[in-house]
Amino acid sequence: MMTVPIGDYVALAAVMFFIGVIGVIVRRNPLIMLMSIELMFNAGNLLLIAFAREWLQNVGQIFAFLVITVAAAEAAIGLAIIVTTFRPEKYVDVDDIRALKG
Amino acid sequence: MRAPFTAADWAAIYPVGVLTAAALLVLVADLFSSRREQRYGSVGIALLGVAGAAYLAARQFGHNHDAFFGGFIVGGFAAVFQEIILIAAAGSLILYASIGPPQRVAGTTAIMLWSTCGAMLMAGAANLLMIFLGLELLSLGLYALCAASDRRAAREAALKYLILSSTATGFLLFGAALLFGATGSVRLADFVNPAFAVNPLYWTGAGMFLIGLVFKLSLVPFHTWTPDVFEGAPLPVTAFMSVATKAGTLAVFARFIYAALPATIAQDVLLPVWIVAGVSMIVGNVGMLAQTDLKRLLGYSGIAQVGYIIVALAGSTPLGLRYALYYLAAYAFMNLGAFAVAAAISGEAEEGAHLSSYRGLGRRRPWLAAAMTAFLLALAGLPPTAGFLGKILILATAVSNGYPWLAALLIVGTAISLYAYAKVIRAMYERPEGAEPSDVRPFVPLAWLSAGICAVAVIVMAFYPLTPSNILPLAH
Amino acid sequence: MNPYGPVAIYLVVAVAAALLFSVVPGLLARAKPNAHKREAYECGVEPTSPVAGRFPIRFYLIAMLFVVFDVEAASFYPWAVQMHALRVFGLLEMIVFIIVLAIGYAYVWKKGGFVWR
Repeated sequence: MMTVPIGDYVALAAVMFFIGVIGVIVRRNPLIMLMSIELMFNAGNLLLIAFAREWLQNVGQIFAFLVITVAAAEAAIGLAIIVTTFRPEKYVDVDDIRALKG
Repeated sequence: MRAPFTAADWAAIYPVGVLTAAALLVLVADLFSSRREQRYGSVGIALLGVAGAAYLAARQFGHNHDAFFGGFIVGGFAAVFQEIILIAAAGSLILYASIGPPQRVAGTTAIMLWSTCGAMLMAGAANLLMIFLGLELLSLGLYALCAASDRRAAREAALKYLILSSTATGFLLFGAALLFGATGSVRLADFVNPAFAVNPLYWTGAGMFLIGLVFKLSLVPFHTWTPDVFEGAPLPVTAFMSVATKAGTLAVFARFIYAALPATIAQDVLLPVWIVAGVSMIVGNVGMLAQTDLKRLLGYSGIAQVGYIIVALAGSTPLGLRYALYYLAAYAFMNLGAFAVAAAISGEAEEGAHLSSYRGLGRRRPWLAAAMTAFLLALAGLPPTAGFLGKILILATAVSNGYPWLAALLIVGTAISLYAYAKVIRAMYERPEGAEPSDVRPFVPLAWLSAGICAVAVIVMAFYPLTPSNILPLAH
Repeated sequence: MNPYGPVAIYLVVAVAAALLFSVVPGLLARAKPNAHKREAYECGVEPTSPVAGRFPIRFYLIAMLFVVFDVEAASFYPWAVQMHALRVFGLLEMIVFIIVLAIGYAYVWKKGGFVWR
């Protein structure tokens, strides 16, 4: 049985990554922005695992594993910050962030 | 299989291990202590940990060896960066003890120590895993630290920092994955093979990796978050962030451009970075002109200062790296000192962050005003401070490496910045019209001590140009 | 066989199963709705607020703690696979790992992170 060529993995990962980038840029809901960031991380993971198989180097899999645990910690901290930021308000929208100028 | 790591491997992470243990001890001690002894207890344990780590890191100077299969390289380069990061941690912890909010002291202290660990891992990281781990340990801690205040602006700063910085990490990770795909290895030392220079995966990967780093260094065009985050975060956290993130990221950046890029293509890949550094020097200094908040001002200043340091690295010469390290060390002292002065005239509401608090400071607090003048002169690059010597060295190396246009941009940027710094100095010494702001706090010994040490360091370093010579090689 | 064959089969099965579960019950069941049946299920009490209400903050806190402790537990899998090869060294490593996690757990506990009010 043939294997899926590496170029297809790269293409899929690139598509995932850019969906994530566009999500961060156009969505205004910080929860969705966090999800988009996770998508970018997972695009990286997909590449790492595909290349680990291509080169027969397990280090790529270990890297992906590390990324998964770190991304979970990141998601937890992100959720915590979102909850504390928006606790007094009803809706969650980054356009309501106005205390700082930029 | 026996234990896969040798004693030499473990020795590499002794400094980080001491800090980690100190952070755990802070948490455990907090569980068994009363509320009153919390603040000085936590910070005391943390400072002992920092001192121990500084001692162990200093002992590694000059003993170059690989650890963890080339993942971490012990030696002068890592040791110098680690000392700078530890100075930043110690300075920020002292400021935290004097003006930090009284709640959550132990948690904040522990997180700051772990962030320091992350930056220190970045200082010695020589493969992509270690770089990612260090970067995330540093960044995750900082997101939480930014939010560690009851002010609304702090939460907003944390959220903004989290989303923008994580996006940058995403770029860095994707770039790292592409580099792994192009070379089949995660070790920076394996990337130097010129045969990779023809592979588009390699170019894309190196480019995205550098975009991630440039973002973390807050260079143009990824600089807009810096002033906002600096303004919103609590003052001690801003002090830590302004030095430790820059030091850690610059360590990775320097190792990457010196040790991981094939010499044949290095200067082509890096030309956009030099241009970005040049533009940052102008944009950062122009941005300072309109500011009324000290933290925002230093945020814009930091954008330009990183630009200066990267000018020293342009051309990737060993001498340039030594001068960059000298300037980074000087920058650590001048920046921490400026924040210490701000803390010395602040209460928990951080009044010292607003520039109007400095009107007439020269007569109310002559010593603090003198120290602040020294720090601002150093940031502007005027004698008799370390900032002046650092800038002269950077200019000399930029010209001799064939980047006179960067030297010219540096001079133009410095000229613009003089106006912004002079405005603060003039406000301190001119007779104020109307009501003079009154001091919130009579005397904050820890902040004064910190400002004093930094002021002495900024002046003394100008006469003893400590440019460590045995920091190479960066990879084996 | 084309490398995407399994992917195609997977997609077909997934779409077919989804269609089967969402469409077929509507065709087979006899629907006789009335006002009481259309009410949201709330044990005989008239619904007073939108059913899809907001979760309390506590829920997010517990969820966050769960995510952290759950995912960090994933670090046990590689060790479990290589346990015999790593021998005592691996065991000590995992003990250190558990101690670090336990200190974090104790800290959260003492600070009231698990109290549901």
